[in-house]
Amino acid sequence: MTNIAKISALASAPPDTSGVWDDLVQQDRAHRRVYTDDSIFAREMDNIFAATWVYLAHESEIPEPNDFKLSWIGLREVIVARDEDGLVHAFSNRCSHRGASVCREHQGNAADFTCPYHGWRFDNRGQLFGIPGKSAYGPKFKSRDMNLARPAQLGSYKGFVFATLNPDAPPLLQHLGNAARYLDAWIDHNGGPENLCLAGAHRFRLACNWKMVWDNAGDGYHVPFSHQSLLVMTNDRYGGGDMAYFADADRSRMSNNALDNGHTVIDQRPEMHGESAWRQQRPQPGREPYEEHVAATYGEQAQRVLDTTVGAGMNLNIFPNLALIGNQVQVVQPLAVAATGVHWYATRRRDADAEVNTMRLRTQEDFPVMGEMDDASNFEECQRGLTNSPEDEWVDMSRHYETGKDLPAEEGIVRGPVTTDLHMRNYYAEW
Amino acid sequence: MNVTTQSSAVGQRSYHHQPPSLYVINSFYEWVVEVSADLARIAVRDSAAVKAARVDEITRLLTLEARLLDQGTLAQENQRALAQEAYGHWLALFADECAYWILANIPAADPRQTVALEFHDRRRLLDRVARLGTGFAFSQSPASHTSRQWSGLEIWPSPNRTDEWRARCSFMLVESREGHGRVLSGWNGFVLRETPDGLRIVLKQINLIDCDRMQGNNSFFL
Repeated sequence: MTNIAKISALASAPPDTSGVWDDLVQQDRAHRRVYTDDSIFAREMDNIFAATWVYLAHESEIPEPNDFKLSWIGLREVIVARDEDGLVHAFSNRCSHRGASVCREHQGNAADFTCPYHGWRFDNRGQLFGIPGKSAYGPKFKSRDMNLARPAQLGSYKGFVFATLNPDAPPLLQHLGNAARYLDAWIDHNGGPENLCLAGAHRFRLACNWKMVWDNAGDGYHVPFSHQSLLVMTNDRYGGGDMAYFADADRSRMSNNALDNGHTVIDQRPEMHGESAWRQQRPQPGREPYEEHVAATYGEQAQRVLDTTVGAGMNLNIFPNLALIGNQVQVVQPLAVAATGVHWYATRRRDADAEVNTMRLRTQEDFPVMGEMDDASNFEECQRGLTNSPEDEWVDMSRHYETGKDLPAEEGIVRGPVTTDLHMRNYYAEW
Repeated sequence: MNVTTQSSAVGQRSYHHQPPSLYVINSFYEWVVEVSADLARIAVRDSAAVKAARVDEITRLLTLEARLLDQGTLAQENQRALAQEAYGHWLALFADECAYWILANIPAADPRQTVALEFHDRRRLLDRVARLGTGFAFSQSPASHTSRQWSGLEIWPSPNRTDEWRARCSFMLVESREGHGRVLSGWNGFVLRETPDGLRIVLKQINLIDCDRMQGNNSFFL
């Protein structure tokens, strides 16, 4: 092949398969290709991750002027930075000159970013302010916008920073829709927007498509199976506890809820907090002295303090990449069609005493190693199955599709039994 | 630093979750933070400060500790009872009031302020072992097999104590699961104390070189 032929081959547009793609996602099943096909993954990065609001960061991660952290809009790497005036900005980590990353640390404090390649300098609003040997550039160059590229819209909801490359995306509040009131409840459980701070992260790399992680985020069906080791151990050692109420989940008071724009929530609160979430929680290091401390310090409020030390009782999923689970903030980062990063940020409260925050952290270290890894292994096995057996085409999401139990509820919510696949059906409708 | 339990302050209650975790209190955290800074310190230490017999004893203990974990992973798949036996011997190397700590940050963050990859007391280590014994720990089915090498052991006395030593060594842990190999590497810090039952591990701190980056399936013991 000549060089020219190579170039034109690269430049040719992919075949228009949009009509075919609609058939890949049906009402109650999705085709394996949406989990395994590189070209579909590439389209997801543009048509989902660049086109809708994506969670980038929590403001508590960059509390001081000039703090920054790296984040991602799908595969696109962005710097989220707070300027000297306290305003938060997001801009591409791609030098406007030749494309090198201008920031090579995951987080830090810097008033400006100097590209290591040719020394171009950008402030922490993403604006170019220094070009070595600038006199060598002419008026045509100077007429171009050479600032770092910025997402079309940036928004913050109670400290949660989102961005989209789509100038026509509806305002963030409209995108959150009726999920906002669950987000409010989750934030209130954690002390309110002024008190919630992220406190470090567990980060995992999984060999599966990002939607395997997302499918599970609203799956109330897997618990007694995927987490059987945890349930059996907890029962054997302590006579039962956390998550035992999933054994006969559809008879429980929990629900699975389809919200606006593909968002969903599993509401476990009636079971988890119905009795006492603290009492059901598997024991953490230092649990007993902590109970003594809380009883001595908080008097009549002691039980409430104990119960807010453990999870909020919601799995709230803000499509496509933010999942609030327990007291943790989970961020799903697509890396490739069959590779996904999952970041589990722990949280603490500015208004809580040292013992409360310590116990929050010990509680949040329980599930990642004893529960999440079992799920992760199952996601990876799903990916293997879909990849290796192309004749078996479909991924099922028909649970409670035909039972008539997913029913309209208040404020446009559709509410179903906790094990329904409504979560998948709802986000795929948005997908 | 005295890290013995202040159980008298807790009173005569009965505990639902056995064994109760009475020692993981603020003074314990103060102590692990101080130890952590000492373990990580760039220092040239007096290599003759610990008697040869004690060095030998600690070396044997840490060799056994690593070997039992490797044996546990090798048995986990088809011989769970043997794996449980290996983990039982492994846990017996730890003092009753112990911590197993995998950092999520370099340098080490205060575990009261920042989440760790793992910060376990004895009870949660028992939970971890029991979970592996259920037969339903799918992240270890099939099981990881591990082979760990460690070297560069340095041992020095804990300040102001005659019955306690601190140690660090670098490690390389090769894992194979489902035919895929991985290498985990870093350094371990230990605190070892002479107890009425013999020399025991009070703290094992695992410092992965990439602990603040994405990890794979580390659901075995490091």
